[in-house]
Amino acid sequence: MGKSTIIPFGPQHPVLPEPLHLDLVVEDETVIDCIPQIGFVHRGLEKLVETRDYNQFIYVAERICGICAMGHSLGYAETVESLMGVEVPKRGEYLRVIWHELSRIHSHLLWLGLAADAFGFESMFMHCWRLRERILDIFEKTTGGRVILSVVAVGGVVRDIDSAVLLEIENVLDGIKGDYEKIVKTLLSDTSIKNRTVGVGHISNEDAISLSMVGPFARASNVNYDVRMFGKGAYGDLSDFEPILDAQGDCYARIKVRCLEVIQSIDIIKELISKIPQGDIITKVKGSPADGAQAANVLEQPRGECYYYARGNGSKYLERMRMRTPTSQNLAGMTVALKGCDLADVNMIILTIDPCISCTER
Amino acid sequence: MDFKSEFTNIDVIAIHDDAKRRHEQGWRYVQILAVNKDDAIDLIYSYMLDGELDNVIISDVARDAVIPSISDIFLEAFVCENEIHDLFGVAFEGIAIDFLGNFYKVAERYPMTVITPEQLAAKEKARKIAAAKAAKEAKAKGASDKSQNDANDGAKAETRSSEKQGKTIEEEEAELEAKLANMDPEKAAKVRAAFLAKKKKAAEAKEGE
Repeated sequence: MGKSTIIPFGPQHPVLPEPLHLDLVVEDETVIDCIPQIGFVHRGLEKLVETRDYNQFIYVAERICGICAMGHSLGYAETVESLMGVEVPKRGEYLRVIWHELSRIHSHLLWLGLAADAFGFESMFMHCWRLRERILDIFEKTTGGRVILSVVAVGGVVRDIDSAVLLEIENVLDGIKGDYEKIVKTLLSDTSIKNRTVGVGHISNEDAISLSMVGPFARASNVNYDVRMFGKGAYGDLSDFEPILDAQGDCYARIKVRCLEVIQSIDIIKELISKIPQGDIITKVKGSPADGAQAANVLEQPRGECYYYARGNGSKYLERMRMRTPTSQNLAGMTVALKGCDLADVNMIILTIDPCISCTER
Repeated sequence: MDFKSEFTNIDVIAIHDDAKRRHEQGWRYVQILAVNKDDAIDLIYSYMLDGELDNVIISDVARDAVIPSISDIFLEAFVCENEIHDLFGVAFEGIAIDFLGNFYKVAERYPMTVITPEQLAAKEKARKIAAAKAAKEAKAKGASDKSQNDANDGAKAETRSSEKQGKTIEEEEAELEAKLANMDPEKAAKVRAAFLAKKKKAAEAKEGE
């Protein structure tokens, strides 16, 4: 047994362009403890709810994170609608979920490309981002934006998608699915990737449950939890929804679950396009949330469950808005996964848990 | 599985035992949040089991109170507890990973406890609108009762110009203050002066008759 040394990791590190700092306590080449630290870029966006009315704040909410922008505006809108008892038209709900699932595909492809790049698999990075670009093209065509979409409003959505464009989206997704399946087959059967990920950064099912982990990282440890299974909004009209699970709990399982979730999202979008009803896309919302009224809500973001809370004070400004992001919930799990690993595997474990500090710092 | 969100209340001394009970029953820890109030803080602990999101509220926690940490039961609670300490100034006792106030690098101490002028103005405006609405409803109810008793009694009263429109001076003043709450102070003073001048002129005209 060697002498204990603390090796600082981040907040500036080539493998993770996010300001996360870890104090890695190592003995020889083995990590025996890990203390995470965030807080370098806290922006105080929740405080802005006091100076932006509940309609304006939706544009702040979607700027919490560039990758989960659509999800944050959707989660916020759903919470305020619950607070004010607003019912969203069915077509509005379908459009929201179509955009949200497209956003999940874009997030997973972005992450997969970065992970491949970190493996040294640069051609895979380019292929993933080439496919992601086609999703961003859909965003641009349907919303006018590629990252910040600004289509969700309290009461519904502000833009419709006509049937010709929906058909076009379906065709693009069919094309992406064919290409993507080839990429995933290559990625998951590659020997060098397996050597670096199989059995590395293991999180047992018991640990994942007791640490309340969420998202694909929990599902890779066989935790059967996905907010979409509650069937809220248009998810309730899907013929079937089963979370994608894996029992291995290692880095390879986490990559596999996220890879398969892209295909699941494509299938969800195609089913919703085939079922989308005609009608209004937004309900006009009048008045302000009542004094003391409060609502809590959860939404499945690409990285897992995100919690939203809102409290009214009788004015058009909310008294409090709170978002608990998936990364905040997975930090403890990440420290557990890092304990006992080789120092060389730290990058891989962090990449497969994919912390988003931008969301967490708000 | 359906999703259900509920709010329940609990006393601060029971929060640790409640967390322990829920952990044994298989509840999943979701989050802890704080809500700043004028002279106290509300804490809300959320847990989930089988689609039921239970939000446990500890109301009116004193700013100098010390809250028992639940991070010995749910380790991941250390993130929210450190965050609430740094942003709201609530002290937690026994946090598993305690950053001692250095979790967030913020320029201002306990920034979420600062009540902004905009927030104060919005609250005041909402309060005045609610008061004006309540007064109007009370008056409508009173007028209805009065007309049932004696339709002639009310007609004799001081018939100020505002009453012709169904409003008392107090109601009009409350409505005006509500409108002025968010206005630039200089402009608000001018509007208020114009309102008073108009009232004075109406009263003089009344006396002249």
